[in-house]
Amino acid sequence: MGRITEEHDPSGVSSRWPRIRPSGDSAVLIEFENRIDPEVNRNVRALALTIENDPFPGILEALPAYRALMLTYDPLQIEYPDLIERVHAWIERAGSIDLPPRRLFRLPTVYGGPHGPDLERVSEKVRLSPADVIRVFSEARFMVYFIGFICGLAYLGGLPEMLRVPRLATPRTLVPAGSVGLAGGQANAITTDQPSGFNYIGRTFVSLYDPKVFPPIPFVSGDEILFLPTDEKEARQAHGRGATEFL
Amino acid sequence: MKAFEVIHPGMNTTLQDLGRPGFMKYGTPASGAADRFAARAANWLVGNAETCAVLETTLFRLELVALNELVIAVAGADLAPEVNGAPLPMWESVSIKKGETVRFRARRKGLRAYLAVAGGFSAPVFLGSRSVFVRGLMGRPLEAGQVLEIVQAPGANLSKRLPREFIPPDPSRNPIRVILGPQEDRFTRLGLETFLSSAYQVSAQADRMGYRLEGPPIEHLKGADIISEPIARGAVQVPGDGLPIVLLWDAQVSGGYTKIANVISADLDRLAQVMPGEKLRFQAVTLEEAHQILRKAKEFLDQVCRTIQA
Repeated sequence: MGRITEEHDPSGVSSRWPRIRPSGDSAVLIEFENRIDPEVNRNVRALALTIENDPFPGILEALPAYRALMLTYDPLQIEYPDLIERVHAWIERAGSIDLPPRRLFRLPTVYGGPHGPDLERVSEKVRLSPADVIRVFSEARFMVYFIGFICGLAYLGGLPEMLRVPRLATPRTLVPAGSVGLAGGQANAITTDQPSGFNYIGRTFVSLYDPKVFPPIPFVSGDEILFLPTDEKEARQAHGRGATEFL
Repeated sequence: MKAFEVIHPGMNTTLQDLGRPGFMKYGTPASGAADRFAARAANWLVGNAETCAVLETTLFRLELVALNELVIAVAGADLAPEVNGAPLPMWESVSIKKGETVRFRARRKGLRAYLAVAGGFSAPVFLGSRSVFVRGLMGRPLEAGQVLEIVQAPGANLSKRLPREFIPPDPSRNPIRVILGPQEDRFTRLGLETFLSSAYQVSAQADRMGYRLEGPPIEHLKGADIISEPIARGAVQVPGDGLPIVLLWDAQVSGGYTKIANVISADLDRLAQVMPGEKLRFQAVTLEEAHQILRKAKEFLDQVCRTIQA
């Protein structure tokens, strides 16, 4: 990876990535190319791992996202110029780090019916039969780009282009935990009962979030997920079991 | 040991400590007392470590009855606290007897008050913290009839008081200071000027997650959306309608709206005391200034701690 620039580039087409910008007085964003792409995300994860492997006083958390990493720090413990110097060194080192092998989760998922209230709608929108929507969706290996939002939501990439549908015009006020859905080229499996504007086509009963244990969520950036079609009975047998039982 | 029974839970009353930093990469915000200065001071005043859980309550109506002899301290917003109908002095330790009632009668100044009890409130620990975070299934707001317990028997009862000059001033009197960015280049010059020169009113949509603000819309250069990325505490995001949202301690940890600025760490406590309906203004400072202000704030905090514990 090359040198960093801290200059502003409003055009967003600079080839001088990565770049660093402050995000408040206790965090910096380290940005890579401005697109959702497994290769770009690989750089983000490599940098996150490099930082985690090298604890440094005043450096708090390395938070990977799609194409940016946020590094939080304690300005009372580390001076900003020292921080930037460290970040440069980590970026240099991240180019040669090996990432851990990807894990593949195979989550039993019941599609359609009461667990997939938007399956028919999605089917009409993309002009595929409901069975074909299920087939295309369940054959996709979704990659966990990062964990965020709230309650450990995994941001998933890898939704087949033919399943591109918009969000609901009016979000549902309550969608049950484990619902598997898609919208705007993204997919997710929500971790707790919550409002959502995604189109939900199925549900897994595997536990995706438990704040009573550490870590509260089973996935890390780079993991892959298959939402395997199964009948309701089999899907329900996974109720309350941790996702790591389905590796 | 039993401390209180809840007669009326008040509004959004939760137990909070200094939060659970370090779990953002698991999608978990730090949570914790929204006004950390007040929570720390309340704990110090009753002889607790600053990390003990305290009650955070908003506006008024919280009513508790003491189930034992207790030493408490109330700090933060002035919500007209009373013991058995008589004014309860704030920012100092107060002994109360078994059967006496503590009540927050009416809001006078600020939004959130903190009640600490000697020995510290007991509560389930999630990821190293007793802070309630309802959306994350980590505890619940207070309920009528609930009995609050103390972690450990309190030590010697020493009377402590915060000197008046250390009590924070009116929260909305001065502008809230921000560092511009990280997406300040996604706004027009006019948009940035609007943000820094207008008064914004805190809307009714204001809770521990954040404040939606009402006022002149802020003009984007080319759309309000970015590829989702982590959000720092105090971020000011501006969605498509141009109205800013300031994110606080229970906010989501990632999102896809442009962020015009970020409130400096030293002003987060004050921000958390601004009421819905009140107006606030933003003032830009440099990163170096923000760090300098934070060092001053830390010196002040250390001085307060030494003074109380002296």
